[in-house]
Amino acid sequence: MKPRVSPWIAASVLAGLCAVLVGMSLMVGAERLDVSRAWHEWRSGVSLAESPTLSILVEQRMPRTLASLIAGAGLALSGCAFQALLRNPLATPYILGVSSAASLGAFTATILLQYMGVSYAFAGFSGVQVMAFVFALAEVSIIYAMAAAQGRISPGVLLLAGVTIGNLANAGILMLRYLAKPDQLVSMDRWLMGGVNVLGYRPVLTLFLGVTPCLIVLLAQASKLDQLGFGVELAESRGVNVRKLQAVTFVIGSLMTAVIVSEVGPIGFVGLLVPHAVRTFTGSRHRLLMPLTLVAGGAFLCFCDILARKLLTGETPIGIITSLFGGPFFLYMLLRKRLSDWDM
Amino acid sequence: MNHAATASHAGSRLLVAENVAYGYEPGKPVLTAVTAAIESGRVTGIVGPNGSGKSTLLRLMSGLLAPAQGRVHLDGRPLMAFTRVERARSLAFLPQSINPAFALTVFEVVCLGRYPHVGALRGLGAQDRRVAEQCLRETNTAHLRNRDFSTLSGGERQRVLLASILAQDPNLLLLDEPTSALDIHHQVEIFSLLRRLSRRGYGVAVVTHDLNLAAVFCDALLLLAPGHTGLLASGPPHDVLTDDLLSRAYGAFIRVVRHPVSGAPLVTADVPPQEDIP
Repeated sequence: MKPRVSPWIAASVLAGLCAVLVGMSLMVGAERLDVSRAWHEWRSGVSLAESPTLSILVEQRMPRTLASLIAGAGLALSGCAFQALLRNPLATPYILGVSSAASLGAFTATILLQYMGVSYAFAGFSGVQVMAFVFALAEVSIIYAMAAAQGRISPGVLLLAGVTIGNLANAGILMLRYLAKPDQLVSMDRWLMGGVNVLGYRPVLTLFLGVTPCLIVLLAQASKLDQLGFGVELAESRGVNVRKLQAVTFVIGSLMTAVIVSEVGPIGFVGLLVPHAVRTFTGSRHRLLMPLTLVAGGAFLCFCDILARKLLTGETPIGIITSLFGGPFFLYMLLRKRLSDWDM
Repeated sequence: MNHAATASHAGSRLLVAENVAYGYEPGKPVLTAVTAAIESGRVTGIVGPNGSGKSTLLRLMSGLLAPAQGRVHLDGRPLMAFTRVERARSLAFLPQSINPAFALTVFEVVCLGRYPHVGALRGLGAQDRRVAEQCLRETNTAHLRNRDFSTLSGGERQRVLLASILAQDPNLLLLDEPTSALDIHHQVEIFSLLRRLSRRGYGVAVVTHDLNLAAVFCDALLLLAPGHTGLLASGPPHDVLTDDLLSRAYGAFIRVVRHPVSGAPLVTADVPPQEDIP
């Protein structure tokens, strides 16, 4: 077996990496930020309105950095949990169609606005966000009901139903794109590519309140997911309530994904890439794997967001970055058999 | 470790199934009114043809299935009154085929067995590691400690899995065909290990298709037959492995002879009279 990195070293390296990336994320952007100046101004009590530097830092850089950390952590951890839940290295909430359904919801909201002039907001969330969330939850409920028809969740039914409904949603998206007017099309496409370039703290607060409790619940399932790795019967005979574990992991993982997607769009690949990358260093004990995956996911999305700001002039959509940089890296790991932890 | 070593004297009834019945589909019972006991210090073999409900009986005994009728008692208490974790501390179950979803080292696999003692949130303590080490030694797998479980040979895998259920610190071991994928050397190795563990006080119940190994290593046999109410027979191998009982159970012509050296029953097939080849 490939020698594993000691947990303490892995955690320290990740923490260091995270700190560097957060620092970079605060500084890097259309306008390079002078940290010492910002610090000085803050100390001397200059208000945000008076200082452009402080205003950019506090109202733009900090929220988007926080959003990338939270969204990345959530996407990576839900991927990790779903891989253990479905005993499948490919499984993520995205594969199960959650993000496609959310996108269909977002597009439906856009089209409704266009053709019927229906504009609505709910508790400060835009129609697009509300519809994305509602559609994602509806999709999750349908596939859960189908897979849990015989009591215990059937991973096979879950995967097939999820992939199928995801495809249906994608067909619906094409239909709506066909119907949409050109100016709407641009904003719809932009939504599909994702972005953590949030302004202000409202989105950050939503992400924080929606994601953090889910992260905690998923982390608490770590030992049980280890047991599930050796099969339902052995896990059950050792005292794990498998049905409850499956229900909790699936519902919480999907809910968290729905919150994230409705806030920052369908950013792909994080849930697939990050858990597998961490696994190659630390092995598959979920008590270790899950917390490290969470941190690495935040770091990865933060890194991609930095690239999004610096790669081209202007903003490159982050969904393109995660796939463009994540994909080849994933293939590299696959080629080097670094994913051999899974029986393939 | 183990309550087993300090358990009540050999032959006490650890687990009793009383008139249990079960069917996977309505109107098609697999088991009807089966009464059986698993005793400490003994290896009890559960034998019978395919579809006679051997594995089902083992699952009823393990609490993974709840009987449609009848009762199962563990240490004199209804099995259904145990919490999952309580149950896992006194009874360990090893399913027939284990396909781990991801790679773990042998030591990690054995440590998984500590779950009923460690719980969902705590990490492994020094005591848990000590027990795991002891279980590795017990099953002669200590030298494999850092190997990837999925790269082990069939015999090594079964010994490691046995170590991992021993780590639950149970006094009853229920195993579903633990030797079905092994060659004869490794079959004997596993059965010898089970017999040795039973002599240390564990109650062992093992589903097997190999009647000859059962004849040599089991202290008692439970013989099931499809569609039969209750057990077709139970008792020491000598009493259960007979021409008549086995031919009835398996619906085939079966001849039992005495092993020329050990005197144990030796089971072989016999050609039916009307199909004599000229």
